[in-house]
Amino acid sequence: MNLMAEILIQVVIAFLAGSLLLGLHRKVMARVQRRPGPPIIQHLLHSLKFFFKETGFPKTVSKPFYIGITFILALIWIVGVIAGPVAHDSLLILFGVYAVYKIVEHNSGSSSGSPYGKLSCVRAVLSAATELPLFAAIIFVYLVTGTMNIGEIITYQSVHGPLIYTIPLAALMFFMLIITKSPYSPFAITKDKALISGFETEHYGLLRGFMHFSESIAWYVMLWVFLTIFFGPLNAVGYLIGMIVITFITGFINAATPLLSPNHSVMTQITIGAICFFGTVIMIFSGVVA
Amino acid sequence: MVSQKIISIIVLVLSTIAILACLVINFDAWIVYTVAMFAIPAWVLSLGLLTMAKPKPEDEEGRLKEPFTGY
Repeated sequence: MNLMAEILIQVVIAFLAGSLLLGLHRKVMARVQRRPGPPIIQHLLHSLKFFFKETGFPKTVSKPFYIGITFILALIWIVGVIAGPVAHDSLLILFGVYAVYKIVEHNSGSSSGSPYGKLSCVRAVLSAATELPLFAAIIFVYLVTGTMNIGEIITYQSVHGPLIYTIPLAALMFFMLIITKSPYSPFAITKDKALISGFETEHYGLLRGFMHFSESIAWYVMLWVFLTIFFGPLNAVGYLIGMIVITFITGFINAATPLLSPNHSVMTQITIGAICFFGTVIMIFSGVVA
Repeated sequence: MVSQKIISIIVLVLSTIAILACLVINFDAWIVYTVAMFAIPAWVLSLGLLTMAKPKPEDEEGRLKEPFTGY
């Protein structure tokens, strides 16, 4: 198949599947909290609806920066689709995507000139604690498989079995990233309701729809990477079931857990990350991991 | 607002041409990746900037008065 056609198909799949999964996430949270909740398709409808809404640009924004940052958000997740489902390339590219995502959170808040956005932008620096366990998880995958290439990691697992059995604590570290990036997460300190919508507060109408487009792709790519590097070669049905199960689990956790304060959030993430890191190191050096 | 419309039309046309060119011609992978990274977000954003509803002329000033939410 033509490469551009493959990329376009994967981007559309990522957008549609990501939107529906985020809709499911919201539905699960609502049902846990004994509310009916919106239909599963609501997140997708919102994303499309915002494209036709009236959009004003507040007086205090730095306009090229304010619009440009939403472009960069979409760009990095297109890179995520290319490096993941399309090319099966290096995990380091995906780590780079998360590093830039942190910059987007920071600059999206600061470009608006709003105090809510600025406070969220400060918190984005604190929440870099999320990316440290991700980096550690990637290192452990490299130590075990000897490669950073997703295609070669899939091949390794088809011979030796899924990595979830070999390095479960590294998978837990990655899973913590998924919880952190999920909507209404206990670790979502940049989108605390005390800050209205955090760094997204001043991005409404079209730009919010554009950010929804990117976030739907982000959710799909994150689940795809997790399932691919820890659950071995999967077919389309395997991915679908895996993504639905993870969305259910994160929905339950987020519905039952209040948002932590920034210091508690960072300490919890670092503590879980440290336990998983040293646990995996002990497993490797004690010979539990072959 | 007019310059924004002109820029959006130019970006939409350029990104459409770039994507169609990659669909028709088999370029090297790195060229296709570069075009996809920039042209797909540019296409979606420029289309959105053209299709979004605009404020009525008499309301336009009111939309710009508030510097930010909750001011």
